[in-house]
Amino acid sequence: MRESSGRFIGLVFLGGIALAALGYAIFGPKPATAVSGDRIVLNYWEKWTGSEAAAMQQVVDAFNASQDRVHVNYLTMSSIDEKAMLSIAGGAPPDVLGLWSFNLPFYAQADAILPLDLQGIVAETYAPAVRPLVFDGDQQLAGVNTCSSVAVYVNLTHLDRAGLDWRNGGPPRTLEQFDAMIPHLTIHDEEGNVEQAAFLHMDPGWWHWCWPGYFGGQLYDVETDTATIDSPENIAAFTWFQEGQRRYGRDALRRFQSAPTDNPSPYRNFLTGRLSMTIQGPWMARVIAESAPELNWAAWPLPGPVGSPDAPAGPIECDILVVPRGAPHPDEAMEFIAFTQRQDMVELVSSLHAKPSPLMDVSADFYFNHLNTSIAAHEAILHSPNGFGTPPVATWPEMNAALTAGVDRIWNGDEDVATALSEVQAEVEGQLERARIRRQRRGQERFGARP
Amino acid sequence: MRWRNTGTGLLWISPWIVGFACFTILPLALGVWYSMTDWTLLEAPIPVGTENYERLLGDQVVHVALWNTLLYIVITIPLLTVASIALAILLSRPARFQALWRVAVFAPSVLPLVALATIFKLMYDGELGVVNRGLDAVGVQGPEWFASETWAMVAIILMNLWVVGPAMVIYLASLRDVPRDLNEAASIDGVTWWGRLVHVTLPMISPVILFNVIIGLINAAQVFVVPYIMTGGGPNRGTYFWSMYVYDAAFRYGDMGYASTLGIVQFLAILLLTIGLLLVGRRFVFYRGAMP
Repeated sequence: MRESSGRFIGLVFLGGIALAALGYAIFGPKPATAVSGDRIVLNYWEKWTGSEAAAMQQVVDAFNASQDRVHVNYLTMSSIDEKAMLSIAGGAPPDVLGLWSFNLPFYAQADAILPLDLQGIVAETYAPAVRPLVFDGDQQLAGVNTCSSVAVYVNLTHLDRAGLDWRNGGPPRTLEQFDAMIPHLTIHDEEGNVEQAAFLHMDPGWWHWCWPGYFGGQLYDVETDTATIDSPENIAAFTWFQEGQRRYGRDALRRFQSAPTDNPSPYRNFLTGRLSMTIQGPWMARVIAESAPELNWAAWPLPGPVGSPDAPAGPIECDILVVPRGAPHPDEAMEFIAFTQRQDMVELVSSLHAKPSPLMDVSADFYFNHLNTSIAAHEAILHSPNGFGTPPVATWPEMNAALTAGVDRIWNGDEDVATALSEVQAEVEGQLERARIRRQRRGQERFGARP
Repeated sequence: MRWRNTGTGLLWISPWIVGFACFTILPLALGVWYSMTDWTLLEAPIPVGTENYERLLGDQVVHVALWNTLLYIVITIPLLTVASIALAILLSRPARFQALWRVAVFAPSVLPLVALATIFKLMYDGELGVVNRGLDAVGVQGPEWFASETWAMVAIILMNLWVVGPAMVIYLASLRDVPRDLNEAASIDGVTWWGRLVHVTLPMISPVILFNVIIGLINAAQVFVVPYIMTGGGPNRGTYFWSMYVYDAAFRYGDMGYASTLGIVQFLAILLLTIGLLLVGRRFVFYRGAMP
């Protein structure tokens, strides 16, 4: 009797699981590729979170309200480049993907994204530095969500306290003038520890690839498909970079960086007044407004041997929109991307992100009440012929990993600059050679080789 | 009758057989195949023979990852073994709130590694770091843990000691199995506590030590989550381990063929090391069931 009731309970339990599985299969979540009501549903994956994601939601809402044929289903996520790769490889990608501009060469090389045909949009629609980040020759491969350039954020109170006359003299115009400010802004305590640093190349250390660009150097020559990491310009750039550490001393800097502060963010040293100048993107204005509203600041282009106040140098990065290969609704996806490229939409999301507009035409309203009061500095870099992006090469993540290790050795003073860069050069040459062999095997054209 | 029993047995374990075939044998076989291809994941794989294996021999990043992984194995396994045995001996002694202490030692093992690594990253951090604040309180300037290759490795190894719980529980159970009369006889013969530990207790639990060392080796050779979250492999690849290279090659560099090669070599290396340990264990491990 007991045995049969136990068996009955077991069967009921198994039946329950089977029913639950069946119910999940029928009624559970599904990819929203089906028509919702009379509308086609587009799945749009984006990498942003928080207020940045909310800003793009406004554009999505505006698109959904603008017509009654297509509905965009907006989904934000982390590690989007890896998920994108797997979804395309698995044959189940979304309709629209929000990636970074440095992802483009790899995806384009593998024919994993569709060329865009956006009505009324040509290369000249975008700022000059933006064009190579979304076009391969005359073919547009991506739309631009937002763009950012990197400038020096300066604590003006520190400058006043040091007696540096920025009001009349303006920002430093040359690297020598910039370097001359550093001793005035550096404060040591009685024991010789750094209490206030003027400028640290590795705080926050997110753009270690950018220094050659200020010295007229580049990491990769797109014309000849060769690495140029150990070029004289790059050696000069990273020598200046290493001097930034030697000025304080490695151990003194480590003590400075490991000292407890009350701000947990990566911007802590600048926000807490321990660092006078730091390179940052335009979103820094929003961070300051939220975390240190009392800070008296300005952003200036970092001067270098290359560039001038009228045409400053500086790194540029874009958030891009692409249609992946295998997207269920490519035409509608391009319609959505075209909508996001409208001037009002670009300005909406750029202003909410505190970033400059990537377009050539910018409305007067855009600058009025912009979150970043130094947006002109970022705008100047973006529209400058001396603005530069990451190398347009499919192996950039691998190249960047090799460079990161080399930069660590240079910064820590473990190696002289020329030796470290020649080691990185050798490693990167191997990567480029493998990429060349890979293209030959597949009969592919190199990204960037298109006229 | 015998065949019928075998058939029934196979039927009962068929879910496991199907799972093992689909999720272990098949991926392994595919991994061997992909390791001999040029595959970006986004394009069809192209056979390249042993090219990936030849590349591996001259790859400087492989050498760095191999050295770091071996260093990690060589340091963590003895440390974990000594710490977990010591804790097991300590917690096997009668004490007030004994269960509470055991739970306290085991509890960190219940936390996901991702959460633990994140917590430790904050603890080591200069600004929020409990570690440096603690050191500061006693007048010692803590290092910037993740700025130096050495300190970054030390930070990861120390964090790893936090999860001694599972090994400690197994040692605790094995200590209960050590015959009391052996220890009593040794005591009567005047053997000290240390002598009893070395000559009685450790030999009696040596099969368990071997088991834990093998499990520790397999885990250490695949270390990934903690360094990935805490250091990202830096600085200067000072904490860049083999599994991180497998992951990077596959998902960051789009080089799935080479990642498969790295994975197959890792699998073979762990297999050989395990066999080696089992062979060494034959000389040093004392199996009570094998007593004459």
